[in-house]
Amino acid sequence: MCKALLICLVFLCFAGAAQASDHLLYFEAQGIAGYSSELGKPIYFSMNPDAEMQKPSLGFDYVRRFSGETGDWATLAFQGRLALAINEGKYKFEPQAYNAYFKIKTPGPYVWVGHNRPAFGLSSYFDSHGLLLRTLAIQGFGYDRDWGTGVYKDFSWGDISASATTGSGMPLYFNKNSYMTAARASYGVLSRDNMNIGFSLGYGNTLDTMGYKLREPEPRRMSLVGADFTLLRNNLEHRFDVLAGRWLGTDTHAFFYRFGINMGEEGRVKIEAQPTYWKTGDEKNYQLSLCFSVLATSDLTVRTAYTYDNNARDNRVVLQLYYYMRI
Amino acid sequence: MQLSIFFIRAAVILVFIFILTGYGAAWGAVGCDLNDPDRDVARLFPESTGYKTIYTSVSQKGGDRLLTKIEKRLGDKFHGIYETIDVPYTIYEIFAKKKVGYIHGVNQKGQFGGIQVFLVLDLDGRIKAFYIQKITSQYAGKLRDAKFGKQFVGLTLKDFDHYDVLSGKASGKVEAIKNPAPQAEADFRAALRATKKNLILMDEFVYSQQSASSNPGVP
Repeated sequence: MCKALLICLVFLCFAGAAQASDHLLYFEAQGIAGYSSELGKPIYFSMNPDAEMQKPSLGFDYVRRFSGETGDWATLAFQGRLALAINEGKYKFEPQAYNAYFKIKTPGPYVWVGHNRPAFGLSSYFDSHGLLLRTLAIQGFGYDRDWGTGVYKDFSWGDISASATTGSGMPLYFNKNSYMTAARASYGVLSRDNMNIGFSLGYGNTLDTMGYKLREPEPRRMSLVGADFTLLRNNLEHRFDVLAGRWLGTDTHAFFYRFGINMGEEGRVKIEAQPTYWKTGDEKNYQLSLCFSVLATSDLTVRTAYTYDNNARDNRVVLQLYYYMRI
Repeated sequence: MQLSIFFIRAAVILVFIFILTGYGAAWGAVGCDLNDPDRDVARLFPESTGYKTIYTSVSQKGGDRLLTKIEKRLGDKFHGIYETIDVPYTIYEIFAKKKVGYIHGVNQKGQFGGIQVFLVLDLDGRIKAFYIQKITSQYAGKLRDAKFGKQFVGLTLKDFDHYDVLSGKASGKVEAIKNPAPQAEADFRAALRATKKNLILMDEFVYSQQSASSNPGVP
């Protein structure tokens, strides 16, 4: 992963020579601290020390547009972090690459190559990069990012997207048997209609990874169907995501609903509640989460989240300071 | 000790990034982009063959002095997270073989969080189309209706000169703009303030620069 981050920085060298008007560069920093009743001690991660999010970290977010005489024709995006994994008194530095793709505009769809969101479920368009609450992909049912290629096209009624990726998630593993294909079609333009409903299909042999850790060397069968729905009305937000089929070779179904209220004059305060349920094989579990977010300044967000995990009997409280600033 | 090494490494990387970019200004705040430029540009500018995206800000273009000038023209101070000096503004230059106009959006505080108001402008700064991209009010449909947007077509910054964003008092063509949703008065007023702000920003970022370059002898 150091190589991936180094490649990102090398590209940034060339990107830095560009004029100010064609790119955006953001600096990111976050602090994470909490307590887990199951572990009986303070924790410095929101989910798991091996999972990529969220941990104390420093990062950057870079987007550059390429233009010709007739306008924009491509976009380059890099989003990386240097995270600190703290577990059982040990410290480990972990370079992470999130967005790392080149997207080209064609007469038909957009085509991307690199590390980006697979075309499955809510996570295919909902950005959880700085959030504490987990989508199904971050929970472990799918990947928030994967390496490969994808296409998408927006229409007046919605959009269609598809992806073909390595089925490894955050790390780049080339296993001749591992791959993931996915496709999603959705109705509704969220920014215009305040709603979007999507249907997804996924098929492949995927690797069991958590963050950059490979938990099992052999890929396992994936065949999933999914549906997601987002509704925004006044200051209320509703997000649903459900999937069913086989994930990592096991019969699986999972469901999540996130309810949010935006409060204050500029919607600076947000309260969210989220139940999540899943059954994988014979194991069932559910989590209940509550998150309180305040946009303290235009660059700094403070979040506090409580999560109850039924199987672990874990009551977990996590505090996040999230700083995101354009430079 | 381990933490110290981490922060030293992180600081080195940050210095590296700062040197690469060569920018000293520290910016923040959320900008306002078209969610799907291809679809939106084609819809708002049917004759277009392409577009170019340009990022700018008040901080970049003139800093505090420009901010003061803009606030005076607007008739109100910039405030809140949507109107900081470092908000990145996205200007879309529209081409139909040659440049034919612009699309530019601004964030504005509405009744339920922020609303995003986009204007389609010709090369003389005249409004060709008005478009609210983001608004979550239950009356969003009425404010997004084509009939409401049509009331803005043909207006210029000059028409908004006498619109008081604080009291809502208007005259002339702006007074003729009717609110289709009386229950959403706050969002209606926000849309008008956003339009005036948008026109002023475009005048400062683009049109006055063009005038200056075509009349180099004029102070």
